Amino acid sequence: MTAAVGVRERPFAWRKTVDWVAVHSLGLALGLMFTLPIVFVFLTAVMSDGQAFTEDLWPREWHWGNFLEVFERAPLLKYLGNSLLYSSLATAGMLISSIPAAYALAKLRWRGRNVVFLLVVGAMMLPPQVVAVPLYDTWSSLGLTGTLWPLIAPYFLFDAFSIFLLRQFILTIPQSYVDAARVDGCGEFQAMLRIVVPMARPGIAATALFCFLYTWNDYFGPLLYTSEKPDQWTLSLALSTFKGMHHVQWNLAMAVTLLIMVPAVVLFAFAQRSFVKGITFTGVKG
Amino acid sequence: MRKLHRAALLCVAAAVSLTACAAGSGNQAGQSGPAAAPGRDDEFSLTVWSNYSGREQDEVTKALESFKQKFPNAEIKHEGSQDDDKITAGIRGGNPPDVALSFTTDNIGQFCSSGSFADLKPYLARDAVDLDQITDAVRAYTEYKGTRCAMPMLSDVYGLYYNKDMLAEAGITAPPKTTAELLDFAKRTTKKAADGSIEVAGFLPSMPHYANNPQIWAPHFGAKWEGADGKSGLASPEWAQMLQFQKELVDFYGHDALERFRAGLGQQYSTDHAFHQRKIAMMVDGEYRTAFLADQAPDVRFGTAPFPTSKPELYGTGFTAGTIMGIPKGAKNPGAAWELIKHLSFDTEAIIGLANGIKNIPHTKAALTDPRLEVDENFKTFIDLATSDKLQGNPVTPIGDAHIKSISDFATSWQSGKVPDLMAGLAEVDRRIDDQIAKSGK
Amino acid sequence: MTATLERVDVVRTAPAKGRSRARTRHRLTVLAFLAPAILGFALFFGYPLIATIGFSFTRYDLINPPEWVGGENYAYMFADPLFRTAVYNTLWFVVVLTAARVVFALGVASVIARLKSGVGLVRTLCYLPSLAPPVAATLVFFLVMRPNEGPLDAFLGWFGIEGPLWFADPVWAKPGIAAVVLWVSGDLMIILLAAILDVPQEQYEAAELDGAGPVRRWWHVTLPSISPVLVFGVVNSIILALQLFTQAVVAGSAASGSADVTGSTKVLGFPENSTLTFPVWLYTQGFRYFDMGYAAAMATVLFVISFAATAVLVQRMRKATHQEQS
Repeated sequence: MTAAVGVRERPFAWRKTVDWVAVHSLGLALGLMFTLPIVFVFLTAVMSDGQAFTEDLWPREWHWGNFLEVFERAPLLKYLGNSLLYSSLATAGMLISSIPAAYALAKLRWRGRNVVFLLVVGAMMLPPQVVAVPLYDTWSSLGLTGTLWPLIAPYFLFDAFSIFLLRQFILTIPQSYVDAARVDGCGEFQAMLRIVVPMARPGIAATALFCFLYTWNDYFGPLLYTSEKPDQWTLSLALSTFKGMHHVQWNLAMAVTLLIMVPAVVLFAFAQRSFVKGITFTGVKG
Repeated sequence: MRKLHRAALLCVAAAVSLTACAAGSGNQAGQSGPAAAPGRDDEFSLTVWSNYSGREQDEVTKALESFKQKFPNAEIKHEGSQDDDKITAGIRGGNPPDVALSFTTDNIGQFCSSGSFADLKPYLARDAVDLDQITDAVRAYTEYKGTRCAMPMLSDVYGLYYNKDMLAEAGITAPPKTTAELLDFAKRTTKKAADGSIEVAGFLPSMPHYANNPQIWAPHFGAKWEGADGKSGLASPEWAQMLQFQKELVDFYGHDALERFRAGLGQQYSTDHAFHQRKIAMMVDGEYRTAFLADQAPDVRFGTAPFPTSKPELYGTGFTAGTIMGIPKGAKNPGAAWELIKHLSFDTEAIIGLANGIKNIPHTKAALTDPRLEVDENFKTFIDLATSDKLQGNPVTPIGDAHIKSISDFATSWQSGKVPDLMAGLAEVDRRIDDQIAKSGK
Repeated sequence: MTATLERVDVVRTAPAKGRSRARTRHRLTVLAFLAPAILGFALFFGYPLIATIGFSFTRYDLINPPEWVGGENYAYMFADPLFRTAVYNTLWFVVVLTAARVVFALGVASVIARLKSGVGLVRTLCYLPSLAPPVAATLVFFLVMRPNEGPLDAFLGWFGIEGPLWFADPVWAKPGIAAVVLWVSGDLMIILLAAILDVPQEQYEAAELDGAGPVRRWWHVTLPSISPVLVFGVVNSIILALQLFTQAVVAGSAASGSADVTGSTKVLGFPENSTLTFPVWLYTQGFRYFDMGYAAAMATVLFVISFAATAVLVQRMRKATHQEQS
């Protein structure tokens, strides 16, 4: 009996070790695959202008000064301020407008709910170029082009992707909690604020992070509305100034790329926990 | 259903009229003659948009500032990195600059025909401006069907660049003058590795690449964009000859080897440009390349010459294009804007200062022959081209550069051997260009 | 779903008069919750969409008032060979990119889920690239995949493989762009990873007792449990593919040797229009060729198709979830 178990277990343990090694080396390979281009970005960022774009991958000299030079070339702190303004206001606005809408779509029953949901998904699918012209006309007739407001304001009313994501999350909160709150005499608004929002916190954090990062990296929007006013530029738009008219300065462009990523990475590091937990529940349930 | 239909129609009508109003407002310029010029001591400010950046933007700002010699109390705000998309958006939004500088002469047909840029005729008439001061080819690319809505600000002229050492090494003493010679010299200066891959290309025929664009090549083959009937006329022996020249060279290199070689080359305006790196012996490019070479690759010994032509009588021709200046529809201060444009168009000192600063070709006859213009041996080739009367300007259409893209796309398929019948293919390109123009309604 | 129905009915068991008043109040509540969204939808989607449909029947150069031309713009689509090219390219991305992105993200997430140590680290490393702005990410890949001299070809060279021309080859340019998108698909990966980690451990144990190996467990337990999230991944990827613009423009422009990163029109779609996606062609016609009427017609077609696709998908999603629940 014991012998038999031993015989059966040894190959099993051996198989487990192989399995462990296989999975971990695969994981390591994946990690490398995703990271190596960023390492490449870093190496290019500290090269001399002459060396970037050559076969030589290792910097012949380490030009740490590139990271300072980009600050001299462009008012990056000003752009950082604009980026922060755009991303944080848009995220705040999104939360104010999207949570109630998502709640209504997930936890209230009313006629036409499915149609409205379909419209939300349809709006999400629409490429921004489709509606760019009439929207640009509207904003310019209000005299608001050349500012960040045409980009920020819509988030205070409607953001299809966030409504969609939040709805998926709120759906997974059991109906009984909401009903219990109603029985306790809570209005729908209170039920949302007291029961759903705290329970949905991870999902809300995730949605907020997605929204923040999307606006942080947004290029088309700032290009359309603010490119004639350099003091309103965001970081991702400023990246294009390092292409120069006659000269792509790869080393400086890569240095700016890294600098733009830093705030996003920091934010991700802080939000990671609630973020990862949050998405757990965002399964699509019709 | 019927109700829905009617509602939809109503909405469409409302939407269309709404935007029509938005686009129609803010139109002041060009309605009742020229706007009055400012007084000498008036205080006013002008906004100028251009697509310059970095060092060149500073030089242009300097030239703009020279306007203050005439109007000491003027203030000029120069915004760089503004392309034509932004200019159009600014006009639509009723918030355009007073003066717009555009790099892409491709769009002048649209600017003039749509009224995006004000017609300058009233100003030219009022101030009795003599347009003959400007060279013919430059005049041609700054107007559209007789409407002059822009003035030139310097120009670019294209010619042949050749690496003296590489030509000498192949036993060639003078640059090619005919395309047949170019073909021969290109083959002789090419170096291939044992495996057939290209190490050095005598002349790159790939299109589009660097300055290898159909509009830049066309003059050297006598190829014209319009036929006698005013329609697109690419299905002509001249265009066919140009493409056959291209194909012969592509076949000499082998299409795949050529593509592989080209894909490894540096960007057009970077220090890794193939000519800087001695990877190509000859090329077509604008006069500005002399400045890049002096700055980034001072060791390259090069010469310049007019680009070779298919027929000897064409020799000395070349392509020219340049920056254009206009007063956008809805500009706040068109009268003063015109004074600034006039200053940059005709003030010899300002033109020469700017030409020396960014190494472009002056656009007036007076400035071209002015001794203050810094001209070295290689730059002189382009000055000579500019003063000759053989230059060809950019083809002007109301469809942006759709026509150039069509033929450029065609050249790409042709060089990869995907076109069975050259003339039929060109006729198809003609049809496409005519269709697009017809659709524009202009 | 049914559960919800019953409960709402319970709430509503009130005298007839009160019921109608309650119903009105309920409607007002719904309206209050949705008011900003309705206003926003009308302003930022409804109105511009209707205006766009309106423009599609006009000739409109962006400056002068639109001029009615009836169905001319729609007819022109049949005469425009690049319209077909653009449709093909975008369809290619919708099919290939969607499949590749979901499978790739699922694969990576499955591997990470099985790691015993270093989950947090690997997860962060895999997510890192998606924090790079799209323009930068594309330029990075352009540099990495530069023929002959780029690090990728150097790497392939160790194995004696000569890499293709990547962004300069009409066959490989689209896969190249797809690679960029896969590299930045960390968000989907993380969503899937979280879903996989969320599958109750008991289900695996039960399957293991039934004698299921790791592959069968993954197939019969993991996959069905995360199917709603997979559907989300599909929808999300289709949106991405339909809207593919920046990456295509930057890749084409950089590979053509042009300095202008935002793309001169002549090199849009380089090489041989293989990167000319539907939004790119729409943008070119509207803003570069000054034919907003035609661009609006293209936009309308795109909207109708994507809306139809959405409706079908939502239907499917609902069905899938019902099966899931039963």
